[in-house]
Amino acid sequence: MDNYEAIQALHNSLPPFSPYVPASLLPSIALILLASTFVLAFYFSTLPKDTFPLRETAVASLASVLGGFGVVALFCSAGVNV
Amino acid sequence: MARRWWTLPLFLVSALAPSFSLAGPAFENTAIVRTIELGGSLVHVSTTYAVKALEPGQTTYQIALSKAERAKTSWLEAKVKARLHLSSSARMSPGVAEYLLSISLPKALAVNGTLNLVLETMQTHATRPFPEQAAQNEPQLLKYETDLFTISPYTTLVQRTKIKSIAPNVISYTTPHDVDSFVRDGSVTRSGGTITYGPYHDIQTDTDFVAKHQQSVSVHYSFDYPVIEVETLHRTAEISHWGSNLNIEDKAHLHNAGPTLKGHFSRLEYQSQNFQRKQAPHILSDFTLHLPPGVTNAYFYDQNGNVSTSHLRTAPSVAKGSKAVQYSVLQLRPRYPVLGGWNYSYTIGFDTPLQDSVSYDAKDGVYMVGVPVMTPIPGTVVNDAEVKIILPEGATNVKFVSPFPEISNSMSTHISYLDTVGRPAVTFTYKNLTYKHTDNIYVSYQVPLSAHLKKVLSVSAAFFSLFAFAFMARRVNLNLHKK
Repeated sequence: MDNYEAIQALHNSLPPFSPYVPASLLPSIALILLASTFVLAFYFSTLPKDTFPLRETAVASLASVLGGFGVVALFCSAGVNV
Repeated sequence: MARRWWTLPLFLVSALAPSFSLAGPAFENTAIVRTIELGGSLVHVSTTYAVKALEPGQTTYQIALSKAERAKTSWLEAKVKARLHLSSSARMSPGVAEYLLSISLPKALAVNGTLNLVLETMQTHATRPFPEQAAQNEPQLLKYETDLFTISPYTTLVQRTKIKSIAPNVISYTTPHDVDSFVRDGSVTRSGGTITYGPYHDIQTDTDFVAKHQQSVSVHYSFDYPVIEVETLHRTAEISHWGSNLNIEDKAHLHNAGPTLKGHFSRLEYQSQNFQRKQAPHILSDFTLHLPPGVTNAYFYDQNGNVSTSHLRTAPSVAKGSKAVQYSVLQLRPRYPVLGGWNYSYTIGFDTPLQDSVSYDAKDGVYMVGVPVMTPIPGTVVNDAEVKIILPEGATNVKFVSPFPEISNSMSTHISYLDTVGRPAVTFTYKNLTYKHTDNIYVSYQVPLSAHLKKVLSVSAAFFSLFAFAFMARRVNLNLHKK
């Protein structure tokens, strides 16, 4: 019993969880990031076709990363807390 | 894994008693008073032992529970001077006829030293409807049976048993027979809703006594609230670090364990009872749950879909660990009134902010979550409960502790949205839970940031594959004619 009580006391005394990104900001973050992803995807479609696709890869990677964060934020703001 | 194991510093498990041999004349009970508060699914028994030590230096007192009583008991607590000394998972040594519970006294009693010990137990499935069938407008009558004498390894100078019913009309109660040798006044008296068996003098409940004098007494009483059992309860608690949210979902199968309905259900009769505000006691039309403060996004649905007959009054969120002053109140009305013998299955769920339940130890990077075992429906017993706590993806070093011993626990993998390898989940199963079993289960785990970024990475990979496809598609010429 004292093992449980000790764990309970420890849990009550430790500081509470704090997220990396505050939950109230998630809808705004989702909007901004997904809008950027959309813009970058459009920009990607206008890029010239080079032999060494440096620019295309860079734009695609950036758009993917922003899209990744944006989709996770979108899921959380829609109520599906992933 | 941290498991709760019963080694209180003061607790001594008694050696297995091979039979109901007397524990020696170490103590004497100057008085035993057993008070039984009758309910529907739950019966609360409180036994006070006034103990006198006959030999010096006694540190352990033994309480006996008959096998039948032990089978009905789902929670027990022993207190000496209001300080808890034994709780619901105490180990009881089984004997031939009964179980012995060992209580360590706070300090050794000298000869003729006295002490008051209070044993509280909660019994489930101890009452049964009698008659077993009742029409819609008939009262609800239940029967409760118990042994007449409270058994103890020590001699008892005087003992009595009080059986209390909430409603004052007790239909009948058995009059004990063959107890004249222990009785000075009447063997049983009744005053309103309280029936007192005793006082009985100079009792020594050894095997001969039990064989000759122990008898079962029953009380037939009226009960004015529906007798509800939750046959199965599945609780799922899902932790999300990205959304900073703890979602708790309960899937319950309610059963009205009162007298089964005789005849057919008359909606007209039901409406007229409602109008006259004299609803039959065995009909469950609504019930109230007390949810934690800070609840959002509550939902209530059943097999047909959303049930709109519910009302939620939220209370503002309180910090983790502090006692909730105000609970969120959820009033639920099932889709149909649940009459005797009927069942109703539903799902309720709600979100609470993660900071109210999870703590973080920055030194080790360990998170700890406290999830209550269940939200009690007042006056009900849960026959089988399963609690599943789903941790974030990539959680490692999982340790858990349950407030009282579980029937079983297991780890599994739960796959949900945006998962790559799946989330670890801890599952506990319990039996016969009551409103006394609502403490927290604590689970500790560690999650690195890279595990959280795995979700982002998987979505990014999906996006990038689309871009790669577009990259190749732009370079494919689908023209039909050469330019």
